[in-house]
Order: sequence, then structure tokens, then C-alpha cells
Amino acid sequence: MTTFAWKNLFRKDSKEKSVLETLKNTHIFGSLNKRELRLVMQTIHVRGYTPGETIFVQGELGIGMYIILHGRVDVLARTQSDSDESQVVTQLFEGDFFGELSLVENQGRRTATAIAATETSLIGFFKPDLMEILERQPQTGSKIMLRLAEVLGRRLKETSVRLTELKQETSKAPGRSSL
Amino acid sequence: MTTDSRRLQIRRLNRLRLAGFFLILLFWLASVLIVENLLISTLIAFVISYLLSPVVNRLERQGFDRLWSTLWTFTVVGVLIGVTGFLIFPKLATALVALQKEAPTYITGFSRLIEDIESHLRAIFGPLFSFDLRELAESSLTQGSEAFFNEIPRFVKQTLTVMILAPFLAFFMVKDGRSITRKAFNLIPNHIFETTLSLQHQINHQIGHFVRARLLEALIVGLVTWFGLVLISFPFSLLLGIFAAVTNLIPYIGPLIGMIPAIGIALVNGSSNFDLLLVFTVYAVAQIIDGGLLIPFFVARLVNLHPVTVILVIIAGAQFMGVLGMIISIPVASTLKVTLETIYRHLTESRI
Repeated sequence: MTTFAWKNLFRKDSKEKSVLETLKNTHIFGSLNKRELRLVMQTIHVRGYTPGETIFVQGELGIGMYIILHGRVDVLARTQSDSDESQVVTQLFEGDFFGELSLVENQGRRTATAIAATETSLIGFFKPDLMEILERQPQTGSKIMLRLAEVLGRRLKETSVRLTELKQETSKAPGRSSL
Repeated sequence: MTTDSRRLQIRRLNRLRLAGFFLILLFWLASVLIVENLLISTLIAFVISYLLSPVVNRLERQGFDRLWSTLWTFTVVGVLIGVTGFLIFPKLATALVALQKEAPTYITGFSRLIEDIESHLRAIFGPLFSFDLRELAESSLTQGSEAFFNEIPRFVKQTLTVMILAPFLAFFMVKDGRSITRKAFNLIPNHIFETTLSLQHQINHQIGHFVRARLLEALIVGLVTWFGLVLISFPFSLLLGIFAAVTNLIPYIGPLIGMIPAIGIALVNGSSNFDLLLVFTVYAVAQIIDGGLLIPFFVARLVNLHPVTVILVIIAGAQFMGVLGMIISIPVASTLKVTLETIYRHLTESRI
């Protein structure tokens, strides 16, 4: 584990290529050209996590999103709002991203807990980084914002569909009013 | 591996990272404090970088890369300062020489003024008033002015070192500051990473705005005072304008300190009440512009410190570092306030 830590702390540019590749393949940064991606590379944070290490906790203030460079992340949610018990709701793999809502929310809180399931490397992209890009190269920032809006819109659509399905299921259940 | 031993390992790793981060911070602090002129050069470099970063960012937005944007900005500003210095320094030197020549006259005049006050006090309090104010004032003024003029060569030497070192440091702060910070942030443990990043961003934002606003304020107050004193043909207008600008950086009491030398000179010269009123008007106009226009728009909304806190902080700053402490105490206090507020929010509101 110590080796992992040292590697993570002082490994320089060996990961650069895979970071660039991962960024290019992430929808939010997908429309950026090489020069714009280089600016994003200057702003992001590559973080290493050991198995079982918490990335963030449900209810905590969040300031940004993570992209999985390699490894696996378990996403857990509390079974009830006042309960301490959580259950895994989804598993995320290389190239997946999560926590993007915090990039646009003011004082936004994490809606789930994320834990590294294996040795994991994440690319962290946070609100101050987005602000820096918007300040230094607004065109690049706008492209990212547009893609971010697309992602959030898609998530909203998915949630709406799911909510409608749930409502339909509830109304079909015996002894329930259709209202 | 069991969950407990994993947790233990994660905790150990976090401690290791944090220790590394604090070691680097400590090393940096120690070098800044030990190496001569480095502390003041670093502080000035921070101020320069906060002033010039927006310009560099603006150039970067036009398509220039960071290095060229920084180079252009520093070159243009350097040339501008050079030209201004070339125009102002001879005048400043002449004013200083004149002040040195006339210092004994002013000291005698000031002593006479004190003597008058003393005789009035004796008339009121009689034998109860047993201080020799005149001698006290004369000796401390003579010693003070001698020390001031003796210190000038050392001050100039120190200024030259700082003038070379500060822009050099500032250049790299503007060009590479973000990447250096990012590298240092690699050592921050994961569980406090987001909080620390958010904290650093808020502090940076707050100090940046504060530095720019206060310097703009000081510059305008200095210029208004200078022009006003030139208009009423008051002696040492340039020196007094610079003094008013510098003291204006000290909140609340700074403007009063800035006015004292001019009022003193007017009283010693035996100026008429009308002349005194004119001098007072010049400083009042500068303060009205400052308080009525500059502070509401640029400063007040940036640092929401209670006036009592401000006074206490200034006193503490003065005790630790003298005039420099008075000037930097407010940004330091506002930094502490943002830090504590963010930590408090993180601790109390981290869960729903």
C-alpha cells in the first residue's frame, strides 16, 4: 500500500496519456480539441484511493465530479433518510463519471456515498477548476458547460421517466387510489 | 484484509500525506522567515500577482499562452513603473532633501506649539500639571527625525533588493502559481481534499479582491490628496500624498494618521484659520470620495469584519509588526475568518 501511495504521489507524466484518453472519451470533455484538453489537463486532480476508502459521503457538501481512470467504485445510498444503513445502488467502472451535479449546485450536497471497491484512480474536476477554465478560456468553459447541461438534462429525463413508471406501478397496486 | 485493518491503513496513509504537506509548508515558512528580505519580498510578490493575474488572464482569453501573457504584462507594467519612477523620483528626492533641511525649523515650531498648549494646561490645572511636554516632544521629534533620515540609505538598499526579488517571485507566482498549488495539493488526504480545495479557492478569491480594492482605494486617496494640496500650494504635497495613500491602507485610524503631518506643518507655519480649513477640506474630500464611493463599491462587501474586530486586529497587528502589521492585519483576519467559517460549515453541516 505504501508503494501505491508513493507511486501515486510522485508518478509524473506516465499516466498523462491515459488521463488524456479518458478525458477525451468522457462526454463532458468530448467536444474539446487538443489545445483545450491540455488546459483541462492543467486544472484536473488525479487522486488515488485504496480499496474501501471513501470518496465522499451522502449529505456532505460536494464541489465537483470524478471520472474513473481505473478501478471500480461502489455507490451506496441510505435505505431510509434517517438511517445509517446503506446499500449498494450501483457500481461504476473505468471511464464512468459521477458527482457532476455538484459542479453547478450552490452548496450542493452529495446524494449518495461513493467508495473505492478496488485500488482506484480518479480524475477529480471541481468547481474552482471549472471557474479557472471559464476565466482563462471562456470558449472552452462554454463547451464544457453545454455538455454538462446535456448530461444533467439526460439525468433529469431518466429520473422523470422512472418517477412516471413508479407512479404507474403505485396506481396499479390494489387498494390504491389512481390519484 | 479485514475492514478494520483497511481503515487503519487508510488512516496511516492520510497522516503520512498530511505530514508531508505540513513539512513542505513549514519549510517554505522557515525559508521566508530566515532569509533576509524574503518575507517582505514574498508579501509584495503576492500583492503584485493578485494585481496582475486578472490582466494575464485577460490576455490569455485573447488566445496568448500563459508564458507570453505573463511576459507581456510584466514588461509593460515594468516600463510604466520605470517611466513613472523616472518622473517622480527626482521630485521625491528634492522634497526629501528640503524636508531634511527644514526639519529643525519644524521641530522648533512644533515645540513652540507644545509650549503654548502646556502653558494653557498649567493655567487650568496649576501645580497638578507637572510634565515637561515641550522637552519630551522636542527630544522625541529630534531623535525620530534623525533616525528617519539615518534609516533612508538602509531603506533604499533594502528597497532595491526587494524591487528585484519581488517582481521575480511574482512572475513565477502568476505563471506557475496554479500548477505549484496543484502539486502541493497532491499531498492533501482524500477525505479533506474537497474542503481544502474549496477553502483555498475562497481565500484566494477574497484576498485577491481585497488587495486590488484596497490598493485602488489608496491610489485614489493619494492622488486626490496630492492634487488638492498642489491646488492650495501647500508644501511637500507629493510626500504628503504618498503618506496619505500608505496610511489609508490602515482601516479607520489610517486616514487620521495621514492628516496629522499636514495639519502639523500648517500649525507650525502659523497658517491662518482659512488655510487650515483648506488643508482639512482637501483631506475631507479625499475621505468623502473614499468613504462615499470607493468603500461601498469595492471594499465593504468583501470583508465583513465587525468594526470592533477591525480595531482589535489592527492593535494586535501593530504590536507584532508595527505599521506593516497594521496594514496586513485586515487581510490576515479576513483569511482566518473565511478559513474558520468554512471549517465550521464543514463540521456542522456535513450531513443533512
